[in-house]
Amino acid sequence: MSNPSASRIRILIVDDHPVVRAGLTSMLGTQDELEVVASASSGQEALAFLQEQEIDVVLLDLRLPDMIGVETLLRMKRSGHRARVIILTSFETDEDIYRAIQAGAQGYLIKDTSLAEMVEAIRTVHAAKRYIPHVIAMRLAERMMRVDLTPRELEILEYVAKGLTNKQIAHVVGISEFTVKHHVDSIIEKLEVADRTEAVTTAIQRGIIAP
Amino acid sequence: MKPSLISSRRALLGSLAVTILTLGTIGLIAHLQSPTRGLPYFDSFATGKAEGWQAFGGTWALVSGVMRNDSDERGAKLLTGSAYWEDYSIEGDVMLLGLDGDAGFIVRSSNEEEGVDAYDGYYVGLRSRDNSIVLGRAGYGWAERSFPMSASQDSMQVLHWYHLKVLVNGCRLIASASITTAAAPTLASFIDDDCIRRGRIGLRSYRSGGAWRSIVVRLATQHDVDQMLARGNIRDAPSTPFPSTDFSDLSNPSLPSSVDLPQPSTPDPGTIPITNLRLYALTKPAKATVRGLVTLTAPAIYVQDSTGGVAVQQAMPKRLKVGDEVEASGDVRHDAFSSILEHAMVRVLWEGTPIPAVSVTPFQASTGAFDATFIEVEGHLRRKAYGLGDSLILDFDAGSQSFRAILNPGRSSYLYRELKLDSLLRVRGIAVADSAYTGNLTPFAVLVRSSDDIDVLAGPPWWSAGHLVIMSIGLLILALSANLLYQRIENWRLHAVVEERERLAYEMHDTLAQSVAGIGFQLEAIRVALPKQLTSVHQQLDLASQFVRHSHAEARRSVDMLRPHQLESEDLLNALSNCADRLVAGSSVKVIASSTGDAHPLTLRIADTLFRIGQEALANAVRHAEPKSLAITLEYEKNLVRLLIDDNGRGFVEQQNQHSLGVLGMRKRAMSISANLEVRSSPGEGTVVIVTAPLPPRATFGSWPAFSWKLLKESARNVKPVGKSYPYTDSR
Repeated sequence: MSNPSASRIRILIVDDHPVVRAGLTSMLGTQDELEVVASASSGQEALAFLQEQEIDVVLLDLRLPDMIGVETLLRMKRSGHRARVIILTSFETDEDIYRAIQAGAQGYLIKDTSLAEMVEAIRTVHAAKRYIPHVIAMRLAERMMRVDLTPRELEILEYVAKGLTNKQIAHVVGISEFTVKHHVDSIIEKLEVADRTEAVTTAIQRGIIAP
Repeated sequence: MKPSLISSRRALLGSLAVTILTLGTIGLIAHLQSPTRGLPYFDSFATGKAEGWQAFGGTWALVSGVMRNDSDERGAKLLTGSAYWEDYSIEGDVMLLGLDGDAGFIVRSSNEEEGVDAYDGYYVGLRSRDNSIVLGRAGYGWAERSFPMSASQDSMQVLHWYHLKVLVNGCRLIASASITTAAAPTLASFIDDDCIRRGRIGLRSYRSGGAWRSIVVRLATQHDVDQMLARGNIRDAPSTPFPSTDFSDLSNPSLPSSVDLPQPSTPDPGTIPITNLRLYALTKPAKATVRGLVTLTAPAIYVQDSTGGVAVQQAMPKRLKVGDEVEASGDVRHDAFSSILEHAMVRVLWEGTPIPAVSVTPFQASTGAFDATFIEVEGHLRRKAYGLGDSLILDFDAGSQSFRAILNPGRSSYLYRELKLDSLLRVRGIAVADSAYTGNLTPFAVLVRSSDDIDVLAGPPWWSAGHLVIMSIGLLILALSANLLYQRIENWRLHAVVEERERLAYEMHDTLAQSVAGIGFQLEAIRVALPKQLTSVHQQLDLASQFVRHSHAEARRSVDMLRPHQLESEDLLNALSNCADRLVAGSSVKVIASSTGDAHPLTLRIADTLFRIGQEALANAVRHAEPKSLAITLEYEKNLVRLLIDDNGRGFVEQQNQHSLGVLGMRKRAMSISANLEVRSSPGEGTVVIVTAPLPPRATFGSWPAFSWKLLKESARNVKPVGKSYPYTDSR
């Protein structure tokens, strides 16, 4: 839509594996509404292409030789490209999915996705929506929800959220202040936050504890 | 960042400790080898102590602040000091106890043994025979020069104190001797070109007894040399090596007229053999005269002839020396077991050769047959203590026989330290049955003449209580560290396995999975491009695409299985149920996870292996069995943990599927932790996979022997079936 001369969706394929690039180019080439503008084998190359060409949708592999896909994605966003990004990977961990979506990917596809679904996904993302398959969405939700906090840590986190000091918590729970401090440190570490205030905010955001 | 900081701090502390230790050791060695350590030295004879003196021959004893050697032994030595002393002077008072010999100081001595010239060093002595200072070098051989005393001095006399000073500086050796410190001394100086540089000091006498007192050792410089040389008649010798010994050359020895030395006299014809003393009537006092050699002078005098020995109490105390041939007349008194010659007049006939000890067993000695005789016995030291007047009392036993040895004060404190309980010793001395010595505790006691009369034949046995405790502690530490090492190695191994798996996962992801995906896309492209009329080709292509997609899914699954999973034992069940959830995502299969028993902490290795087996079993169930539900159960028992993966799917005929790759892989994993794997299934009834893993007993302080034994057994079992541990080759 940014390019009125052709209504076709302009696509950039970023994958380090030549077989994948060739296959994808052939497959997507059969679709009239799509146009594979270029294919890049590394993150740098991809960023260079984006500078030169007008691209609508980037199909981005997560594992690239020079920088990981998420890094490429972040740099793209930072340099102000408006191209939309679909992660196309053959392997996914909960963490990969989580980080890709956080970095601003609009879609997430596994490489054994059928042509029809892939075209659907590209169309959806191009239309400024998100396309995340059910299975991936479930796992994303799981990752978002997951807390590695122990029941005792959860209990203490709730008291922290209520604004109690370590000393007060120690008194309420019936353990030593030293142990409470230990638990709080552990919570801060697990939630990857800087202090107890941030821990509470993050926990509420993630739905670990009720606001 | 943090760990590297910690490790660098640890490295710093470690190197600091090593540096301090090294410096400390160097400092200690430097201190021990310092040529000035312990200087100046003053003897402590006046206080009755002679710590640090080492005897080689002689009968060294402290008598009222004077160190005495009463034996006429040729070259009895008593040494002390540091082998690293270099330039120093030694001075003190020296007295000759016999006519024909010499006595003096040893300087710069090392490598000492018992024997006439058995040391490397210099000797400076006063010799009465030729009225001179004798100055010589010994090195298991002897070379000397003699320097006649200057005319201003009287001829040398026996039983007179002389002040003797010896100074060594560089290769110069100076000796001075005078009757009193006030008179101008006679000086003897000598330069030995190829000199001995360092060594200890010592007292030495030769063919005469000797007495020493007020010994002082100081550092000496060139200034001291000059000062000393300026003080007297210098009898300097040419700077040539010591001439070889030629005693016949000693011209005109002016024998001093004896002062109070007894003149040799003719023996009394009325003497009787000592053993006959016991034939004298027990009641009637009688007089008798005996002749024999003095075997002991302190604490009592004992005289012995070829028939036996007797204690002699002098009427007028007269100084006697061991080895003196004497004639004693006195009253015979009988004690319980032995005879004593009381109120005896003792005449020294001549100086004889000390008689050797008779070697007897403690049993023989206890019969009384060797009473008052110089004997030699062996026994195990059982007790050591101080008796009257700081004498050393040693209690021995030999078999059922016990005896006691009593040592005069002097060097007893040194011996007290050196002699270890339970060691086998040989002691020489006079056997006495007198209860004054035995304390009625032992059948006899041995009066030991000097510390030199005690030989250590064998040290205490190694299995003393202390050693056993140290040894068992050592073994304990060894076993614990072996155990620790084993676990560390096991951990490394596991890490290596995990790393390798990760590498494999990457490899598989980057090549196999990508290629399969690419081929899939290519097939899709072909299918789209093909005209719709070619239905059969379309169908074949659809099938091919499906295969490819399936292969891709398989590859992804394999990658997933190979990826490292940080497993703590408590979330093994969690991890498995998560894995099952993922496998059945999007379908209606129910996953039930539960555990029974008290959850033990599992080692990483066991938890990981169980997880892999469970993963495989779950994947098999989802792939092949089409189950409605999956049950994951973890059962903890006392010494084992059991994992059950139960599906209510299709099942299969057991014989057919036992050797499929999946089952073999699971079995191989199970073997690696000595676990047992069972697959039960029948068509239509579902399948259950059961893994039973023994838990290693936890290594506590009390259980480590059993624990190490078990580990040993286990490792032995794991080593054996090298060929068999690859079930793939086994099943062909």
